[in-house]
Amino acid sequence: MKPIGRKKRVVAGYAAAALALLAVFAAYLRPELAVDLANQLWSCF
Amino acid sequence: MSSAATPYPLSMRQVLICGAAIVTLSMGVRHGFGLWLQPITIERGWSRETFSFALAVQNLVWGLFGPIAGGLADRWGAHRVLIIGSFFYAAGLVVMGLATTGAGFLGGAGLLLGIAHSGTTYAVVYGVIGRNVAPERRSWAMGVAAAAGSFGQFLMVPVEGGLISGIGWQDTLFVLACIVLVIAPLAFGLREPRRIGEGVAQQSVGAAVREATRHPGFQLLTAGYFVCGFQVVFIGVHLPSYLKDHGLGPDVATVALALIGLFNVVGTYIAGSLGGRMSKPYLLAGIYALRSMAIVAFILTPLSPWSVYVFAAAIGFLWLSTVPLTSGIVASIFGVRYLSMLAGFVFLSHQLGSFLGVWLGGLLYDRTGSYDVVWWIAVALGIFAAVVNLPIRERAIVRPAPA
Repeated sequence: MKPIGRKKRVVAGYAAAALALLAVFAAYLRPELAVDLANQLWSCF
Repeated sequence: MSSAATPYPLSMRQVLICGAAIVTLSMGVRHGFGLWLQPITIERGWSRETFSFALAVQNLVWGLFGPIAGGLADRWGAHRVLIIGSFFYAAGLVVMGLATTGAGFLGGAGLLLGIAHSGTTYAVVYGVIGRNVAPERRSWAMGVAAAAGSFGQFLMVPVEGGLISGIGWQDTLFVLACIVLVIAPLAFGLREPRRIGEGVAQQSVGAAVREATRHPGFQLLTAGYFVCGFQVVFIGVHLPSYLKDHGLGPDVATVALALIGLFNVVGTYIAGSLGGRMSKPYLLAGIYALRSMAIVAFILTPLSPWSVYVFAAAIGFLWLSTVPLTSGIVASIFGVRYLSMLAGFVFLSHQLGSFLGVWLGGLLYDRTGSYDVVWWIAVALGIFAAVVNLPIRERAIVRPAPA
């Protein structure tokens, strides 16, 4: 029982981390933010 | 966790939660500073050189103060250095927002923030991790903390971009100043009761520095880390410009930035995990070699959005994966008594490489009209770093027992 519980917790942890990463990645792709970021990034050069 | 049951006074969970949160904030907030270039220079009527020079100074000051902050953390406690560092951080952000002269901006964004970074980032936190996590889990724990810093970088760019658009660049700096003050209470979670005896209590700071700087492994590790700084900062700063020169749109650069951030988190964590099971010098050699291979493939392949995305993912995976391994090697060889200070010395080399990567990138571009020469320098340096890491042995140094 114990090893399975621990395994589930580990899988849940990785899943939560993956979701958080994908959520932030999606933030970069939101059109208004992407345009804004790109403009600010581009203006540096 | 009871301290009586373990030789480590702080629980690993506590160290990881507080350390990861601190590094997420300290590395995250600084990562989007480039976003202020346009609004600040326009509003203050400054040249871009004024802004860029302050950030270049910030990076150098970060490196130069690293050994000092690390030494103070090793001697007086990391929590004190972190608390003072958080105040410097907040003050630097406020001065950055209020400065109306180039000199004032240099003092805030360059000097204060540079000192703040030296006291709130990896080296200081790693000392606590090293002293409170068992050696077999140390590399993994350092990987977790480094991945948290990578996540902070990934997270804060869109957050800061959104805040600048929503409330203005100046108020965003003030909000961030309040946010970085959270480092101070978190630092109490890294408060170590007393110096942990390690059998080297008699070793002075000077003796520790002499011992390390004369050690071939330390010299090779430091040389390799110089290359890390050169490659990462050259690519981070000059890649968007390179893409623009080749006719790719800003949307490609934005997605590339996001991919680097995303894969950086994953790569850093995996590198730390592998460091606990495999030879860290060999892993570092592999990372530097793979970076060179990724750059060669990138510059020899016809440029397209997809070639940029593949390169961004690959180089992102290898981005900060050197951090836990490099500090882990320092801990393996020299122990954890002066880990923050010695990691600070190695990091100084990283920052010198960063400075050269940015500067040489611009200089050679101006002289030759392209980035080709610098790309090939980055490739050659990667091979050099791979080679110099191979002979490093992780064996703990043997010291005479104290009388």
